[in-house]
Amino acid sequence: MSLDPTASIALLYRRLGFGASADELSAGVTAGYGSTVDTLLGGLGQPDPGGDAITPPTFSSPLAGRAALRGDVAARQAYERTLRAEARELMAWWVARMVATTNPVQEKLIFLLHGHFPTAIAKVRYASFMYGQNQLFRTSGAGNFTQLTQAVAVDPAMLIWLDAATDKASDPNENFARELMERFTMGLGTYTEADVRAAAYCFTGWRLDLRTGAFSISALDHSNAPQTFLGHAGVNSGTQVIDIATTTGASARYVPSALWSHLAAPVTPTSPIAVELSAGYAADHNVGNLLRAIVTNPQFTSAATAGGLIKQPVEYVVGALRALSVKAADVQTQPDAILGTLAGLGQVVFNPPSVGGWGQNTYWLSTAAALIRWQFASRLVRVADISPVQDAAPNARVEAVGQLLSVPTWSAATARALSSAVQSPPDLVTLALVSPEYVSN
Amino acid sequence: MPETTEAPPARRWGIAPMSRRRFLSLAALGGAAGVAGPLLWEQLSSTTTGASKGSLGSSTGRTLVLVTLYGGNDGLNTVIPYKDPMYAAARGILAVDPTQVLELSEGFGLHPSMPRLHKLWTKGHLAIVHGVGFADPNYSHFESMDIWQTAEPSDPTGSGWLGRWMDKVRADPLRAVAIGPTVPTLLAGERVQAAAVAPGPIRLPGTPLDVVRYRTMAEIPRTESGLLADAAHANADLLEVRSVFGPIMEKTASSDPLHLTGAAKPGGTGAANALAIANGGGSQSAADVLSTQLSVVANLLLADVPSEVFSVELGGFDTHTNQVDTQAALLPELDTAVGAFLDAVSGTKRGRETVVAIYTEFGRRVGANASAGTDHGWANVLFVAGKPVKGGFYGEPPSLTKLSEGNQVYNLDFRRVYATLLEQVIGVDPRDFLGGRFAPVAFL
Repeated sequence: MSLDPTASIALLYRRLGFGASADELSAGVTAGYGSTVDTLLGGLGQPDPGGDAITPPTFSSPLAGRAALRGDVAARQAYERTLRAEARELMAWWVARMVATTNPVQEKLIFLLHGHFPTAIAKVRYASFMYGQNQLFRTSGAGNFTQLTQAVAVDPAMLIWLDAATDKASDPNENFARELMERFTMGLGTYTEADVRAAAYCFTGWRLDLRTGAFSISALDHSNAPQTFLGHAGVNSGTQVIDIATTTGASARYVPSALWSHLAAPVTPTSPIAVELSAGYAADHNVGNLLRAIVTNPQFTSAATAGGLIKQPVEYVVGALRALSVKAADVQTQPDAILGTLAGLGQVVFNPPSVGGWGQNTYWLSTAAALIRWQFASRLVRVADISPVQDAAPNARVEAVGQLLSVPTWSAATARALSSAVQSPPDLVTLALVSPEYVSN
Repeated sequence: MPETTEAPPARRWGIAPMSRRRFLSLAALGGAAGVAGPLLWEQLSSTTTGASKGSLGSSTGRTLVLVTLYGGNDGLNTVIPYKDPMYAAARGILAVDPTQVLELSEGFGLHPSMPRLHKLWTKGHLAIVHGVGFADPNYSHFESMDIWQTAEPSDPTGSGWLGRWMDKVRADPLRAVAIGPTVPTLLAGERVQAAAVAPGPIRLPGTPLDVVRYRTMAEIPRTESGLLADAAHANADLLEVRSVFGPIMEKTASSDPLHLTGAAKPGGTGAANALAIANGGGSQSAADVLSTQLSVVANLLLADVPSEVFSVELGGFDTHTNQVDTQAALLPELDTAVGAFLDAVSGTKRGRETVVAIYTEFGRRVGANASAGTDHGWANVLFVAGKPVKGGFYGEPPSLTKLSEGNQVYNLDFRRVYATLLEQVIGVDPRDFLGGRFAPVAFL
């Protein structure tokens, strides 16, 4: 069953961005779905006046840190405090940027890529390296997936996160080789243990200069012995491994299934939609084109898709801050409540729990999370702009809050509850923010 | 005797689910802070008809606390076969100094940083099960953990092993509690998902009228499925969590039942540091993470809540690199938290009937890699601790020489451990939840 035009445009803005403003929604309905897709995706790789206005923090260089870590206890502790402060500034910057962006598809794609290639500052430690990876997603995320994977692999955050920069030809470390295939490119069950071990040999000798972030390959520690990897004989470099893995048939299904899972509804790489999308994706391995193929697929604008996802905490919080016109600069300068909310919900940006990234859907539906959302919503409505609801006539406020939050329809139970609160707009908006419909994406 | 699972729903609660729900709603409306936990249970128990066992806790009177170690803890350096000459040879630079291990028996010693578990061993309250795992491993963290948590090795995509128990007995979500923001798969059923409670008070932000509206919005029949219904059910369950646990959490928010304040804290793990960062860079240290979770469990147990299962977790065990330092930071955290927890609850009958099981998704490769770490392996040890436990070793230690692709080979299906816990702690027939019969292990 396909959605009506308003519901389709609202879905598109929720999934490709963080929800639509009333103006965006009505403009989208007037312009039509296809034209709105063009407008939104046209932002990929383009400037972002809103987001660019949020100044990125400056970070200390790891070089200085190395000196501090060699110093006395006081110097080390001071440096640890610096690193923690920088991590917070980094987190606040990105959340503020997502709130401010006028190019939401770009920011959403970076967020999804962060979940696809998860690295955590808890292990990487240096905010400058995490920021660098975020910039890499920003400049290269919408392009060729093979090139993106090559760049992510030799970027400092991933080199530290998966220990790629520590091993030697004699006893390779399998961490990066395994996760590259299982999580980033191909999916479980599409390779053998022999492929993992072969790939691990190809990644030996990879080195990171912690002072500069420069990547190199140590000839001494790199194994040149030719390996057979996924049926290809004579493979002996990490670059070859990534080229081969990202251009397999398995990868052509896995990458579309991963993106469909976060934009439409969870699917496996062998699902019909992944197979359908794989043909087009295999032709160019282009992420931007894949995004277009996903949102223009008839199955995307369906009731199944509309009921297929729960908002991730970042989507929930950023969506609410944008809808209620909270100033991004305030988010950046006073991030405590926002970052605390994200931590309470279990999703701190730049700090996924493992290389598996974050869970989905019911993973986010716990009683603990329900409490945090309610506390967040009730504080938010007291500092935010709820005038679109406040200014509406009481009998129009239920509809107005739906429009404010990009929720096209309320269930009977929710409508009943909201209707009982129309005399108190802050209570009404709070309730709407914790409704099953808004918690859904 | 294990009970059958064909019992009427919510029998152990003593009253039908709907009327109980209604009772709790009224409690929430009236500002439940005045209704202390024990009083509530007394009132509920007084209406019981068939619950002669007092209806608190499981039919066995026991409580299960599951500790999940994420990342794959290296069991070979946790329970160390230090008298086996092959150990030092196979482990090379990672071998633990034999003079430092805490002597167990049969040639094994515990990692030097685990004195509290060692004390439990000497008192006969610690079981160590050797060679635990499952057939045909694929060495993926995620699938391996899914297999452990669903207990369905052939298709680990469905409900959790204790989620199925909650579904089958149509349990109230409060019968199992995850400590933290999310509920692990093991406690997620098709119909029922366990409650999740974070440390700290549970304060609803609204007025009583707001709570009424919130409840109205959450009134979606339990039979409805789909994400909208799931979201509504989580909201409804929050009100119940607030009614039942709220007064206890309020009273104990700043308590320290584990008495670890000021104690020497081991070094940091990533998750904890990042949480501290996100929460304002406060004083929360890495060591607080598991001990804080177990403090919540201790407070709830000391208040005699009727929850039968608790889930806590500790991450960071994926030691591909620099394993010695990482384990030296994480194992004391585990040891201190679990030891202090069992001490904290030992003064009550409920606490003395508590069983703690500690598991991880897989063991690690016997040989070290060039990063002074170990890659993903297979067989592992598993701990079961508590007063009801018959201490000692169970199962056969896997060989250090007959390896499979460098890994120790499992010889004891993990579902045998689950069967034991289901039968002896939860008091149900394990066959109903494990899809077959698995011989129990004699630690209980």
